[in-house]
Order: sequence, then C-alpha cells, then structure tokens
Amino acid sequence: MNPLPEQWRMIVPAALGALAVWMLLPRDGKRRWVLGSLCGLVALVGVLSTVRPVIDDWAMDGLFYLFGGGAVLSGVMMITDRNPIYAALWFALVTLSTCGLFLLNAAPFLSAATIVVYAGAIVVTFVFVIMLAQQAGAATYDRRAFQPMLATCAGFLLLGAILYTIDASGRGGEDARPQFLPRVQIAEVTPNPLSQPRILNEETGETDLGSLSSIGRSLFGDYLFAVELAGTVLLIATIGAIALAPRRAQGHL
Amino acid sequence: MELLKNPLIMAGVTIAVVLGGILGACSYLIWLERKLSAWMQDRLGPNRVGPMGLLQPIADGGKFLLKEDVIPDHVNKFLYLMAPCLSLITTMLAFAVVPFGPVSHAPGDFPFVIAPGIDLGIVFVFAVGSLAVYAIILGGWASNNKYSALGSLRASAQVVSYEIPLGMSVVGIALLNHTMSVEKILMYQAEQGFAGWNVWYQPVAALIFFTAALAESNRLPFDLTECEQELVGGFHTEYSAMKFAMFFLGEYTHVITISFLTSVLFFGGWHFPVIAEVGSPWFLKVGVLLLKVLLIIVLIQMLRWTIPRFRFDQLMGLAWKVLIPMATLNVVIVMCVLEFELPRFWLLPLSAGLFATVGLISTQGSLPQRSLTAAPTAAHGHGH
Repeated sequence: MNPLPEQWRMIVPAALGALAVWMLLPRDGKRRWVLGSLCGLVALVGVLSTVRPVIDDWAMDGLFYLFGGGAVLSGVMMITDRNPIYAALWFALVTLSTCGLFLLNAAPFLSAATIVVYAGAIVVTFVFVIMLAQQAGAATYDRRAFQPMLATCAGFLLLGAILYTIDASGRGGEDARPQFLPRVQIAEVTPNPLSQPRILNEETGETDLGSLSSIGRSLFGDYLFAVELAGTVLLIATIGAIALAPRRAQGHL
Repeated sequence: MELLKNPLIMAGVTIAVVLGGILGACSYLIWLERKLSAWMQDRLGPNRVGPMGLLQPIADGGKFLLKEDVIPDHVNKFLYLMAPCLSLITTMLAFAVVPFGPVSHAPGDFPFVIAPGIDLGIVFVFAVGSLAVYAIILGGWASNNKYSALGSLRASAQVVSYEIPLGMSVVGIALLNHTMSVEKILMYQAEQGFAGWNVWYQPVAALIFFTAALAESNRLPFDLTECEQELVGGFHTEYSAMKFAMFFLGEYTHVITISFLTSVLFFGGWHFPVIAEVGSPWFLKVGVLLLKVLLIIVLIQMLRWTIPRFRFDQLMGLAWKVLIPMATLNVVIVMCVLEFELPRFWLLPLSAGLFATVGLISTQGSLPQRSLTAAPTAAHGHGH
C-alpha cells in the first residue's frame, strides 16, 4: 500500500474541489465565487491528468469531455444554485449528460431508460412540487445550505475513495484485487450461454453486444433473481402507496 | 454524387429534406385543419388570401414574423425564451428515427430516415418525447401568470401518466416482431404482406397507442393544458408572435410524428397490397406511406370536433384505470400466444375479447360511483 502523501495526484484535486464547492454553496451574505470557480477549474484539470479516456479518436474524446464535464459542472451548479427550479433543471442536465456517457459506452437502452425515468418523470415531479410549494419565493432557510462544511467533507471523502479505487484498479496488479474479500481461488465458472453476445456477422465479427435482445437475455439470464426481486419490491411499494393514499367519501379525485 | 457517399453529408441532406418537408407540411396541415373545421361547423373557413385561401399559411407565417415580439414584465426571461425552443427541438429530434420511405443503408442512397440502423428505435422516440413536457412546464412557470401555471401543472400530470400506456402498448409489437427498431418492424410487416400488418394481431394495442400518443401531443380531446374556456390559452397565454408559432409548430410536428409512427408500427408503413410491395419503386412506397399518414392526420383533425374535452379526473381515470390495465393484459395475451406457440390469428379474437371485457367492466363499474356522488353525505366532503 502506498502511504498517503504519495497519492497527492488524487488528494490535491479532491481537496481543491471540496474547497470550491464549500465556497460556492449558498449561504448568508456574499459568496467568493471567483475564487471558488478558480479552485474548481484547477481541481478539474488536476483530475484530468490522472483519469482521462484512453481512446484516441477526437470525436469520441470531444463527446466524452462534453458529457463528462457537463455532468460535473451541472452537478456543482445543482447544489450551489439558490433557485430550486434552476437546481431541478441542472439535475435534469446532469441526467442527460450521464446518459450521453452511457451512449458512448455502448449502452443505448440504459441511456434511453434513464432519460425516460429520471429526466422525463422524476425531475418533472420535482419541478411540479417546487412550482406548487414555492409560489411566494423561497424562504430564508432555503437560501442557504444546511451544514455546508460537513456535507462537503463527507461528499469529497467518498469521491476521493472512489477515485483512489478506480486509479488502483486501473494500475492493475496487486492493488487491483478486492481489498476486503477473502482471497480464495475462485473456481472457474462456465459462462452462461444465454447471456453471451451472439455473433451476427461471421466476417466482420459483429456481435449483438449492447443491443436490446442481448440486454433482454442478460436481464433474464444472469440477473433473473435481481430483476424478480426488484419487481417484487416495486409491487410492495405500489401496494403500500395504495394503502396509504387517503380515501375520500366520494370515491373520486 | 461522390460527395453524397459521405455519411455526414448524406445525413445533412436528409435533415434538410425532413426539416423543409415538415415545416411546409405543418403550414398546409393547419390550412387543412381550418378548412375541415369550417366544413364540420358549416362555415367557409379561410377564403380571402389566394384561391380557396391557399396562400393563407404564407400570410400567417409573415404575420408571425412581423408581429411585435412582446416579452411581458416580471417573466423569467431565460426560461421564458427557452421553452418554445425546447418544444421544437424535442419534437424534431423524435423524428430522427422515423422512416418516411423505404429505408436504405447503402452509402450514396437516400436513406429515408435521418438516423438509420438505430436498434433502440421506438424507445428513443419515447425518451425524447418524455422531454417535451419541459417546454410546457417551463413555459407555463416562467410566464408568471396563474393561467399558464395551471396549464403547465396539468400538463406535467397528464404527460407523465400517458407515457406508461404509450410505452406498454408497443411491447406486444416488439415481442411479435422480435425488435424495437422502427425500420425493422416496417420491413417485417412488408415481407409478410397484407396479413402481416400488426393491426390484425394488435388492434387493442393500436388503439391504446393512438389514444396515449394523442394525449402526449396535447391535442383535443386531451388539450387540458391550453383549454381556452378555462385557462385563456393555458401554458402559452403570454406568448406571442414567433414564440407562439414555435409552440404551435412543435405540437404539429408531434402530430405528424405520431401519425407516422401509427402507420409504420401498425398499418404496414409503405406496404399496400398490389400497389406497393417489397419490390416496388421508391416513389410508390413514399406515396403510399404519406397517404396513410395524411389519412391518420385527417382522422386526428376530425376527432377534434367530434369528441368533447375530458374532465381532469376522467383523463387520469382513463390512463390509470383503463389504458394501463388493458395494455398489461394485452402484453400477457401476446406472451401466452408466443409461449404456447398458438397460431398468430388467435390474437385477433383474444384482443376483441379483451376489448369487449373492458367495455363491459367499465359500464358495470360506473354505476355505484354515480350513486355515491349523488348521496347527501358527499356534499360535506368539500369543507368550504
């Protein structure tokens, strides 16, 4: 294991980012937004020196920076914006940028489903609630962040841990092994033939990886138990919602 | 010609053709709608500009451009201006995977679809279409007007609810045709001939799809977001000139897109027995497809003056109590037929049975509710 100071490539950008977010979080009085955004930019450039896409295609690279940078910037804007409507819209942008990253990684169905569920339904519900709740303008306690110091520290500790793990697994070797699992030799598992990508074209080696049918086979092959479990949880939630909903005398809305 | 083999340039040409076609079609469909409305209400309709009012769309367009561009005080200017743009962008983007002729993947051929070979197909249309609600919500909220806000509140509930039956209605199609790609669904039907049209196997799904798509486009009888009698103009009360025109254009593009999707998914696309088979020349196929689309658009326009607007609880009840259970049962029927390898023609009587059962339940179920509202205790429920 490396001692902490050797990890400065990760620690410095994470600390700078934390500083930036802490300075930009809404509070009473003036925010030091120039210094904050400068710190944030330096942190982003610093992170870029360690994690960057390995592909060497200018179009793909450009799209990656567009979506990745868009997601990070919109995320910061979402938590630092004072106006809740704008915060909800920044959240929608975060979702859309993430969906762009999914598309770049050959997961079109995941990206479309995320757009439908998050940007198209959940954020719309948020906006709906905000429009109903904030008609007279935001209250003072809504204009400043609650516990900005604690929130920033906790968030960026987690982020730093994730960055470190990604960096370690990228380097491979001894570091890439799972740290907290017993190191037993895992028996060779025969892959499930149902979930293997099928070859569509023998000559070009084209497979149906990432297409809808391969996702379907994977969901109902490898992940059948998880899918059924999620379905049951949703069913229970639906029953609970119906049970909790108030009954009116007229039986109408 | 060599230049056209570049996929980027070909995509640009296709986009230009689609954009020009849709903008022109929109203006003349509005003329057609006004003429049809006039005919159905025993009026004359536009008849002053040009013969039979044929130049009316051009006059309207000129007026939209030249009119004073009013931005009211106390509006959230950025969101206020962004909303009409969003309306147009999302509806135009949804058209990217809709084939408007015989799709070709060969380089140098006109592809007849902006983005050929998208495996997601119909899911992409739903994903982009679900973003269209932002235009209405933001427009209504940013206008700083109670009528607009009410319209956009209704819109958010309506669009989110109707997305569910819309998505579920095409699951049966996807199961039967083994794909979600719009162009592949079209080819599958065309190769099977007249008996392969999906509407023979999925009539209930076609009905659900058409109803839900109509509700998504906020057309009458689902135009609760802008009903003039209650909300002045709904979410676009404060919009004038070109900004209003963009909202209108977005709505009409949506109508065109759902008409294309209905004819491609359920009515065989460009296929018609004898006239346009698989080997026919391209102009026959395009002609047949456009004719089908025009028929569906005329149907939508006639529905406008045939069915009165829903009440809001009826609207929600239709989505959650009728369309969603019906779509679920329809998917179960398709799965049963496929799993037990029954012949496909069983789907037609089974769908008809489903429709009859739903109709019977709805007539039975509404009786006790009516007696409940008439009960004297109900009057105390309001509290004011």
